[in-house]
Amino acid sequence: MIFQTSSNPIEDFLAILSHWDKIFTGFVMTMWLYAWALLIGFVIGLMLAILRHYGGRIISPIATGYIEIVRGTPMLVQLWLIYSLLLNPLGRGVFYTSFEFFGKDITLVFFNARIIICIITLSLNSSAYQAEYIRGSILSVSTGQMTAAQSLGMSKIESIRHIVLPQALRRVIPSWSNEAAYLPKYTVIVSIIGVADIFNQAKNIGFQTLLYFPVYIFVAIIFIITITLISKALDIVHKRTAIPGL
Amino acid sequence: MSETPDLSTIFFYIITRGLPNTLVLTIFGLVLGFLLGLALSLMSVYGSIELRWVASGYEKLLRGIPILILIYIFRWGMPGLFWYFESSLDRGLASVVLALALRSGAYQSQIFRGAILSVNPGQMDAGFALGMTRFQAFRYIVMPQALRLAVPGWSNEYAVVIKDSSFALDVGIFEMTKAANQLTVNFPQLLTMTMVVAAIIYFLFTFPVTKFFGDRQTKKLKDLGMGGN
Amino acid sequence: MSEPILRLVDIWKSYEDLEVLKGISFDVAEKQVKVVFGPSGSGKSTLLRCINMLDPPDKGEIFLSGQSFMDPSVKLNKMREKIGMVFQHFNLFAHLKAIDNVSIGLRRVKGFSKEEAHAKALDALKSVKLTEWAEHYPAQLSGGQQQRVGIARALAMEPDLILFDEPTSALDPELIGEVLQVMLDIAKAGTTMLVVTHEMGFARAVASEMIFLDEGVVVERGTPKHFFESPKSERVKHFLKQIDVLYGRHEELLEPFDKEVNK
Repeated sequence: MIFQTSSNPIEDFLAILSHWDKIFTGFVMTMWLYAWALLIGFVIGLMLAILRHYGGRIISPIATGYIEIVRGTPMLVQLWLIYSLLLNPLGRGVFYTSFEFFGKDITLVFFNARIIICIITLSLNSSAYQAEYIRGSILSVSTGQMTAAQSLGMSKIESIRHIVLPQALRRVIPSWSNEAAYLPKYTVIVSIIGVADIFNQAKNIGFQTLLYFPVYIFVAIIFIITITLISKALDIVHKRTAIPGL
Repeated sequence: MSETPDLSTIFFYIITRGLPNTLVLTIFGLVLGFLLGLALSLMSVYGSIELRWVASGYEKLLRGIPILILIYIFRWGMPGLFWYFESSLDRGLASVVLALALRSGAYQSQIFRGAILSVNPGQMDAGFALGMTRFQAFRYIVMPQALRLAVPGWSNEYAVVIKDSSFALDVGIFEMTKAANQLTVNFPQLLTMTMVVAAIIYFLFTFPVTKFFGDRQTKKLKDLGMGGN
Repeated sequence: MSEPILRLVDIWKSYEDLEVLKGISFDVAEKQVKVVFGPSGSGKSTLLRCINMLDPPDKGEIFLSGQSFMDPSVKLNKMREKIGMVFQHFNLFAHLKAIDNVSIGLRRVKGFSKEEAHAKALDALKSVKLTEWAEHYPAQLSGGQQQRVGIARALAMEPDLILFDEPTSALDPELIGEVLQVMLDIAKAGTTMLVVTHEMGFARAVASEMIFLDEGVVVERGTPKHFFESPKSERVKHFLKQIDVLYGRHEELLEPFDKEVNK
């Protein structure tokens, strides 16, 4: 038998849904990791892009080196590397909340050593890719703008802040949206070090119900829907903030 | 190993024990992905509206599924899929190759489509004016240029696939990252070092390729006047 | 009188709601050179693209040496082998050297062997005076050289007729001469040509007939002598004057300067 399911998909679906608490906590964890990674990744990525473009002879290659190394090595290796460095120092503290909901006990863990390790890894990884997108859009803002700003008397930093960045950030939205929409995909890597994201929860459900195939498909569909929704939302943002000619 | 392994031991261990599977996964994944991607790109550029819809739908689907989940679907969700392989290892390898190929096909399709579309359409007209059929014009004029134009994107895709091959360890395949991890079973304090070595090895496999085929190729193409409209 | 090489009968073509060609008919006989000219938007390029069916006409018929293009049993690409085309933007194959650009049609369409195709291609390049540049890529050639390769590419196929779509319009002024010279040479050698161009000097030298196209209709036709000595319609006169202004030859343009200087 190729597929391991009972012959009734509706039954399977309902069986999976009976574990909605696992699905819920898993989804929250995935989104939690995603949000932090995107945000921190953006801040670091922005810094990297600026350092790489405006940095000068020593700083620029360092920024470039960081980006190339992160992009040239597997995320899993990066994860274990940071794990090896931070697991002990971070200790055993846990930040969580527990409550009851429709008869089930729900525990949402916000921070522990492993979660922080994952957030750091995902952020550092995403920052390298976001840096490339932002650098591309900085390059696309013509150097004439910088020259004009400086001839008005702005310092380099002021020119970057008030003239180049606003245009660059506006221009980067389409490619940044690509990264933002697909980043949730990469959070599944955390399942390998035991963080209870939606994929790990799916594995649990599979183990308990033996409905492996349906539950994996189910989770895959959740990802596709989430990614599509994020894409569409960012599309709307892009249209709303449109400036003619930019 | 009874004594703590040193740097060179780690290096050779990872390469000799892990590289074969990494290469098998990467090469098969890329080649099958290439065939799939080529077919999909032809469908989306030259196909009827139904074919284009299929190609587009496939791409959206495969780009939205995390590779690890895709691997699990084939390995544990459909355990009977590769029934003709007797060893569990082979079935594992085949599942990962299938997942990598399906994903890579979706991305390579985009690369080729972009390359085909950036060949100046006036050249097609010139081909027709010489009496070429659509097929001939594609084969002798568009494809040679499109393949060259696809090289930078393709080198990037190679890097992605070889990195993604590391996920195979989660379904029991002994590739490079697993090898690096395996060393820490008896020597847990070495995790940092083994991971750094693994990172260096992967980097040596990706960076030279993407640098050479990416930047230099793009410049060469620009000089030849190809790919600009 | 034998069959004309090209016969157009009542060609109509529209793009969306815009009627671009409204009932064009004329012939081109063997060894004739006909020049089609007129303001932009008059449908000149569209007409050429209709002739070799790159964009088929909506109505009307096209005959090549008596054989109708519209006949469903006709293989389009076979017909196209007999019509050469030279494009405004050259459309050379960027990945092939000049010699290969010229020989590829001979090899892949006409089926010549590699050696035969190469020899014929070299001959064609000789007639456009570019044999030294045979091994160069299009990107390494000037605009004028690229267009000459384009002409060689069309010549090598030994077509019944060659269409020229504004062959010099995309060239820098100083490069136009070399291309026109080649066109003059092959016209004098007896090639049947249908040329869309503003180059009135060329028309004057070799055209058997000139056809003025405006807003999709043939407004006037006649020999070059007719047009330059006694054109009939006002639109033709206006257009010819604008061409003269373009080339800085018109007296009205020169007069005011003279007056100012002599004050």
